[in-house]
Amino acid sequence: MMKHGRFMVGLVGVATVVSYLIWTGVSETMVYYLTPVELMARVEADPTFHDIGIKVSGQVVPGSYARVKGELLHTFIVRDLVDESITFPVEYRDALPDTFTDEVEVVLEGFLRTDGVFEAATLLTKCGSRYEATPEDLAG
Amino acid sequence: MTILGEYALWIALPVAIWGMALGFTGGRTQRGDLVLSAERSIYAVFFLLVLASAGIVAAFLGDKFEYLYVAGYSNREMEFFYKVTGLWAGQRGSLLFWALILSFFSSICVFQNRKKHREFMPYVAAVLQTVLAFFLIVLLFADVNPFERMAFTPANGRGLNPQLQNYWMTIHPPTLYLGFTAFTIPFAFAVAALLNGRLDARWIQLTRRWILVSWLFLSVGIIFGMQWAYRELGWGGYWFWDPVENASLLPWLTATAFLHSIQIQEKRGMLKVWNMSLVLLTFLLTIFATFLTRSGLIESVHSFAEDLKIAFIFLGFLGSVLAGCVVLILYRLPKLRSENRIESFVSRESAFLFNNLLFLGAAFAVFWGTIFPLVAEGVTGQKISVGPPFFEKVNFPIGLALLTLAGVGPVIAWRRATKRNLQKNFQIPIGVGLLVALTLWVMGARHGLALVTWSICAFVVTVIATEFWKGTRARARIKGEGYAVALYHLVTRNRRRWGGYIVHVAMVMIYFGFAGAAYNVDVRKHMLPGDQLEVVSPFGHTYTLTYEGLSVSIGKGQRNLLWQAIATVSVEKDGVRQDFLTTEKRQYVTSAQLMTEVGVASTIQEDLYLILAALDDVDGVIAADSQAQGIDLQVLVKPFVSWIWFGGLMLALGTIIALWPNADPRRAAVRPEPEPEAEATPAPAMAGAAD
Repeated sequence: MMKHGRFMVGLVGVATVVSYLIWTGVSETMVYYLTPVELMARVEADPTFHDIGIKVSGQVVPGSYARVKGELLHTFIVRDLVDESITFPVEYRDALPDTFTDEVEVVLEGFLRTDGVFEAATLLTKCGSRYEATPEDLAG
Repeated sequence: MTILGEYALWIALPVAIWGMALGFTGGRTQRGDLVLSAERSIYAVFFLLVLASAGIVAAFLGDKFEYLYVAGYSNREMEFFYKVTGLWAGQRGSLLFWALILSFFSSICVFQNRKKHREFMPYVAAVLQTVLAFFLIVLLFADVNPFERMAFTPANGRGLNPQLQNYWMTIHPPTLYLGFTAFTIPFAFAVAALLNGRLDARWIQLTRRWILVSWLFLSVGIIFGMQWAYRELGWGGYWFWDPVENASLLPWLTATAFLHSIQIQEKRGMLKVWNMSLVLLTFLLTIFATFLTRSGLIESVHSFAEDLKIAFIFLGFLGSVLAGCVVLILYRLPKLRSENRIESFVSRESAFLFNNLLFLGAAFAVFWGTIFPLVAEGVTGQKISVGPPFFEKVNFPIGLALLTLAGVGPVIAWRRATKRNLQKNFQIPIGVGLLVALTLWVMGARHGLALVTWSICAFVVTVIATEFWKGTRARARIKGEGYAVALYHLVTRNRRRWGGYIVHVAMVMIYFGFAGAAYNVDVRKHMLPGDQLEVVSPFGHTYTLTYEGLSVSIGKGQRNLLWQAIATVSVEKDGVRQDFLTTEKRQYVTSAQLMTEVGVASTIQEDLYLILAALDDVDGVIAADSQAQGIDLQVLVKPFVSWIWFGGLMLALGTIIALWPNADPRRAAVRPEPEPEAEATPAPAMAGAAD
């Protein structure tokens, strides 16, 4: 007495719901992952590109870091890894990860305000050499 | 010693290949001498890997900095403990350690079965040696040999990254590796079953304990990782949907699905292809997890190396195993037909199937979100990524559906549930769930997702508590035992069932803790010594925090520590003085970065979590007068976090009960076709007695 049809409807239903969740999840939460050069080019070509959530990676300009007391507000300047002339200021309001120094490579998620300041909601640091030493590191 | 270890590693590879070849040949030709040699080769590889690992440890202890790996992860000043655990501190060592554990488990497996299950063992030995040979090839030829020497000997090593100098961090990776590697045994038996054609539930019965052991270590390993993140990373979270975290979650999800679906094959002879596919998938995901951790393919705070050679070797292996197993499953398809069919939409089989579908759905979502940046870049040339919001959006609904099934599955009848069965078992629990939601609402809780979660938690707990209560009461009446004795006998008579229920309760506790995050409190303030800060918790407690001052000490206590600045905060909870909390910044010799140590006061209700977010400084110099030293203090109140850790303990307890050897000799001898267990359908005799 197999109610095969009803059962398959249930299974297909679950699969559909899961696929729907993934599909809408991706389309609603995905962000562009750009370099500063790409970001600037985008904004230039299309001013509406401001205020869109994006992820951007670059290097903190040494010496540019400053902190506003009490607010956990951190400001610094990020530059492109290749073209060092492309820079933008960043505001980040949260505790910095321990791996942050003012010359580190960072991945920021947030948006570029129309005043040209990048408001970062999350900040990750990228340190490839942190775990793996090369002979050159050890010699130096 | 170290040289000996290096040679041992080189000898292990041909031995493993020898064992692999003899195992497959011995299985085909049924030649006992070949099989015996294949099995013994596993002991030999284990012995050789012990030598190799001892060699690395000896190099650490002897400060042999001419070895690149040792110089990268140790220095003269490092504590003995961290020198020993340096074996798995980095990529090279962990791969060796992985192989070591696998060869250890393989040896146990071969030893256990030296006189039993001979039709499986040749192929089991062959598969295990194949996996070992793969890891040896990686170690020797993918530029990750831990014995690599440099042309010069540095005066001192770099030392261990301070973030890894933590108790949880030393036990978290090996626990996960134990889980990953233990799953190779069920996989080996599955492949052996495909090769020898014994495709009933036997391979599952033979490896049930290995599956549970693997699942136990995976679960505990993941929870240790969360504990480390919570205590050490200093941002107050325990899960970040980081690629490497996801990679460890993937095999856990599929292994959990597998744990449930094998019960259908054992009881009803269905889902044979499905189970074969799940064991294969889980095995591939354990290798994938190792690969993801150990290659920098996907950006992550965990990724150790960015070497492509090792990526190609890993992907090649994953691809070959996948192709080989798919061919085998297709070849054996006629023998993998179901013995029964699902009879009703409302039955335990169907609940388990939905459970499986949801676990796989969650696994697919996590997998997709993790590799999405790669796929998107490959297809569109545009780098796109998804973060925590994606994973939360997809996994919260799936997770809640799974939690609900944790309450439905245990009591819904096999084959076909009657209306009466449903009413009897679910009326009260659903009522309790709704009542809890209503009560919380009245008490002022307005966070929808948290309310739903807690309500479902109440439902599941009521279902399972009722089961325990009915069983205990029935037994107490029938056997005339006291309730405690009756409960003990109830559980020990069918450890698998009741252990499973305890794990379900553990998951409820963990979900309960997760939902607490909806009520996190986050306050920041710049403070000078003597300043006060009041924080009100979601439970209405008022914490009055007074910053007492900062004490700076130079390199005291711990080796490799340059200086530490400790902020002391006195805590009053509702006007009652509590212990002081401290939170600090540390500078280690071995790293340019500062380290933050958080201060946590944990209760069953909520955690008070203090972070020394920043020190006032003038051009990097902090004030000489500690009475004038200002700080940025971040204060978090996090409800129910400790329930997650208690849930982890409960989970371990339940799993250990489920895999504890049964004293009953009837179950020790495994028959090819098991009798359906008397208690598998929800105990009609007991339920009858309870009515």
